[in-house]
Amino acid sequence: MEPVASHENWRNCFSEVAPGLLLFARQWVQSAADAEDIVQDAFVKFWRRNHDIANRGLLYAAVRSLALDFIRRDARRARREATAITEAEPAIEPSFELEDDTQSALAAAVDSLPRDQREVLILKIWNELTFSEIAGALGVSQNTAASRYRYALTNLKKTFQPR
Amino acid sequence: MNDFSDLEDELRKLRPAQPSPVLFERVGEALKASRPFAAANATSSWWRFKGVTENWWSLGFSLAAAAVLILFAVITMERRHEQQEAVAQSSAAPETRPAPLETERSTSRSRFVPAGGTNLVYNARDEGLHFADGSERPLRRVRYNTQQTWRWRNPETGASLRVSYPSEEIVLIPVSVQ
Repeated sequence: MEPVASHENWRNCFSEVAPGLLLFARQWVQSAADAEDIVQDAFVKFWRRNHDIANRGLLYAAVRSLALDFIRRDARRARREATAITEAEPAIEPSFELEDDTQSALAAAVDSLPRDQREVLILKIWNELTFSEIAGALGVSQNTAASRYRYALTNLKKTFQPR
Repeated sequence: MNDFSDLEDELRKLRPAQPSPVLFERVGEALKASRPFAAANATSSWWRFKGVTENWWSLGFSLAAAAVLILFAVITMERRHEQQEAVAQSSAAPETRPAPLETERSTSRSRFVPAGGTNLVYNARDEGLHFADGSERPLRRVRYNTQQTWRWRNPETGASLRVSYPSEEIVLIPVSVQ
């Protein structure tokens, strides 16, 4: 497989992964601007180190690590984010491009999932990672990743019915 | 997962928010900033320009200089030692062979002759097209990481000396636009 960073094709690669990466980063930060900062740092590090695209789980692990660092760095910000999450306030900017009420309801249902289930769902559905890659990115076993995904879908099915 | 296929389809219809165009510019700038040896130092467009990482070169030259100094020191010490041996032998008992021959022999034994060199390229990275200052034609910048090794050999004794150091080389190749 061609190394992801072997050519000056970062723009193509980034345009493919950026939306999913941003969505993943938004798990930890409410602001889209902060999420973009995190994604930028993670992608630049990944690219500089010439990682292979086969190791894209590293890119998501980097986003996760930087997002957690970002929260820890600023205690006030961390408190604000924690408060926002516990009070289930809507995100400052929407994480999805919503076209109708059905999609709004589905996005809200996704937002209401427990974080460990939601991050697996995001990696699986919108980033198209395998359970093996998800396990690597999150530092859990493959079985754990698969069961969290199944729990996420089960919970979503309880709160949302496709029309 | 068949139970959830409808739900998964609905989820896939949700499109994540797109990144702002500014993000692309910022990532491009950050990647550019990570390559400090830009083509700004390029000379004529048709000459191969060898940019260097100063740290690597200084390390390489230091190692090479140290190796040469050690080589000279070894040769000098060996020559002195053998001259002393010759003097001692000639003073202890008359030698059948004259001393100058002994000195010549010791000199030839101390001689190291170049035996070859290798330049092993272990990584080559195409860094895309760039415009050097004053150049109207784009140049493709390729960065090579190499391991250079030089060898010397003493034909009399069979002893060998090897100096090896890493180096980094940036090559600008003119690109013809048609």
